[in-house]
Amino acid sequence: MKRATPKRDLPPISMFSLLLAAALLIGSLFLPWWSMKFYAPQYPEGLNIIVYPTGLAGEIEIVNGLNHYIGMAPFSEASFPEFRVIPYLVIGLALLLVVAAFVRSRKLLGGVLVLFLVGGVVGLLDMARWLRQFGTNLDPTAPIDLEPFVPPILGKNTIANFTTYSMFSWGALLLLAVIGLMAFALWNKQARTGQPRPRPAVAHPAPVKDGQAR
Amino acid sequence: MLNKVLTALLGLTSGLLVATVFFADIGKQDDGASTLQSVAEKVYVPQGQKDEYYLLSSGGHSGQLFVYGVPSMRKIRTVPVFSVDAATGYGFDKHSKEMLGGYTWGDFHHPAVSETAGDYDGEFLFANDVANNRIAAVDLTYFHTADILKLPNMGGPHAGVFVTQNTEYIALPTRFARPVSDEYAALDRYDEAYKGIVSMVQFDREERKFNLAYQIVLPPWSYDLSDAGKKVSGDWIVMTTYNTEFATSNQEINASQKDRDYLVLINWRKLADQVATGDVPEVDGVKMVDPRDVEGSIFAVPTPKSPHGVDVTPDGTRFIAAGKLAPLMTVFSFQKAFNAIEQGKFAGEEFGIPVIAYEDVLEREVDPPGALGPLHTQFDDRGNAFNTMFISSEVVKWNIDTGQVLDRKPVFYSPGHATSSEGDTVAPDGKYLIAGNKIAKDSFLSVGPSHPESADLFDISGDTMQHLVSVPVDPEPHYSQMIKADKIKTEVVYAKDENRPNSVWASKDARVERKGNEVHVYGIAMRSKYIFDAEAERPDALTVKQGDRVVFHLTNIDLDQDITHGFGIMDYDLNMEVQPGQTNTLEFVADKSGVFPIYCTNFCSALHQEMSGYLLVEPQ
Ligand SMILES: [Cu+2]
Repeated sequence: MKRATPKRDLPPISMFSLLLAAALLIGSLFLPWWSMKFYAPQYPEGLNIIVYPTGLAGEIEIVNGLNHYIGMAPFSEASFPEFRVIPYLVIGLALLLVVAAFVRSRKLLGGVLVLFLVGGVVGLLDMARWLRQFGTNLDPTAPIDLEPFVPPILGKNTIANFTTYSMFSWGALLLLAVIGLMAFALWNKQARTGQPRPRPAVAHPAPVKDGQAR
Repeated sequence: MLNKVLTALLGLTSGLLVATVFFADIGKQDDGASTLQSVAEKVYVPQGQKDEYYLLSSGGHSGQLFVYGVPSMRKIRTVPVFSVDAATGYGFDKHSKEMLGGYTWGDFHHPAVSETAGDYDGEFLFANDVANNRIAAVDLTYFHTADILKLPNMGGPHAGVFVTQNTEYIALPTRFARPVSDEYAALDRYDEAYKGIVSMVQFDREERKFNLAYQIVLPPWSYDLSDAGKKVSGDWIVMTTYNTEFATSNQEINASQKDRDYLVLINWRKLADQVATGDVPEVDGVKMVDPRDVEGSIFAVPTPKSPHGVDVTPDGTRFIAAGKLAPLMTVFSFQKAFNAIEQGKFAGEEFGIPVIAYEDVLEREVDPPGALGPLHTQFDDRGNAFNTMFISSEVVKWNIDTGQVLDRKPVFYSPGHATSSEGDTVAPDGKYLIAGNKIAKDSFLSVGPSHPESADLFDISGDTMQHLVSVPVDPEPHYSQMIKADKIKTEVVYAKDENRPNSVWASKDARVERKGNEVHVYGIAMRSKYIFDAEAERPDALTVKQGDRVVFHLTNIDLDQDITHGFGIMDYDLNMEVQPGQTNTLEFVADKSGVFPIYCTNFCSALHQEMSGYLLVEPQ
């Protein structure tokens, strides 16, 4: 039999999985995705740069104030056009997930997953580009001369009297969970065999921490 | 044989003696060492840890507030209140200069933390200036002086400041009687032309402003100290008097002739009600109420010679006068006083004030043998009182209900006030007591003839007092407030308020506006530069003409804890500080021509030395 619409070849359990993925994706808009913590003898409590998909939080002004000594350009939300785009991309992807959930097409979902992964890789590359840009384009007239450096996306680094720790945050974990849920929707046993089982499956919820929203 | 026996006995005895002395001594040394160690541990607060209490101590004729941590007795800060302070620019910047009102010093005796339901609420601290008749409020969120009010008609509010249970009023009775309205009257007319005034001040916490609600006119006695009642006595104020002799010279002799002076009881609520009716005369715009016109609002109780402190017990049932020249503490009962008043049982009148007989109010006299010069009473949470003895240089602990003396400990030397932990509230903690001493003498490394004063810290949580430490303090400790640290909630950075007048928050917005011979700078201070004019070729140089009025508004845009910037102008005798997030203003006339370096006076950063600029004054 032939249909104009894509083939409905994913089981109902995949639908639940995808709806949950869409919800988590929307949820990630309110959580930080990445952060960098700065420690120095004078800052035992640490200074933070916290990156949300929608903007920056943490002690940005203080970090900027200190960074001007090494000639680093100041961070601000205005300097990252990404913040104006990412929320729409996230909402768009979430809508696609909802559509995929109801259409239950393996092909459509596969497309969404590829799109998602591409977006992720582009995002990481973009971050790496920014970090390189901030760390290497230091103002030569700055009072403190520092060798250009590239802060890592993940892990520890030392700059002058500061030790920094870069890490992914709750929002990024949610994104990972979204990928996991999409993979589950595509490749769970019922989807692979095309044999729906009577036992309703419960999708495993990804960890969501309270109070992370800005 | 006998010889042998004697020798043996002698040997045995001396052996025993040596052993006893030797071992007893060892035991004692061990004991002493471990006691010293445990005492040391009680006052040692390691780096990074904080003290349990704030001690907010009057700085006497330094005019400033001293802040210590208890039990370490580390001095944390001097907060300028009544006197100019170069280190913080207090009295230089526009706001504090206006607040000081042209005075350069004050004599701060008695701090009082604002109270709610008779307990410290930790929001504000009030201070009296005995020298120049002022009252100040220190905002304990910022530890900055928020307001100062000049009180007319007063002769030094020594007997203040004491707050009523909910800080409805802050009472300040006068020390010297004077003619009101700054009038002249010869000392021969003391009896009729001189008045003793009590100022009743209100404080608006939202507006952070004082209001002189009314003044009470009293006979020209000297009012020494006072306290506000609590609970059952909450509507009352008690005050000690001296010089009821009306001596106008050589008070040392002439004001010490009578065996009894008076305690004065005033019902402030009745007076406030009277003032509210509006039927009260005004003197120079101040409502002035004569309590003799308000039935039941004033009574006098004779009390042993020249009393100093009077303190109301935590439960509010009694008030205790410390005799100073009569070496005893007298416990009076409010209930007995109320009964006498109700029955109209008076021993007579003085100046039209009903006098209640001493015996009719007395509960007991407490006279520890040889304890001389009692000045002040503090309390713990177990019904005990503590008195400082100026002359016999000790603290005496005794039970209020029984009068039994429980402990006496020497202090080094000659204590004035004592302050116990939350000891003048309805709920004292009974943990620590400080004696603020007037004489340090040989206690510390010598610094020549000008000595520090001293303070002794006691642990009063046990049956007997344990002396923990003596510390030198700057002149001069009078009364203090010891408040649990968690009751004070500070802000360490001023919040960024973009609507604040004269504030600038971005370097690009820094600008100079010139109006005739006025030059207004709206600038910023940040690590490690000043920007007065973002457009200028040299943003940190200001050029004006000789004779211009220059107004620097500086905002510290480093919103980071403890990044204070200073702002000193060389040879102009000017300096101020700007706290993180604060906008501060310095106003002056550039009357000297020349080139005047400007620099950051408060070490702020690795490039602090470079944080500078120029004031260029073109000759006329
Ligand atoms: Cu500075």
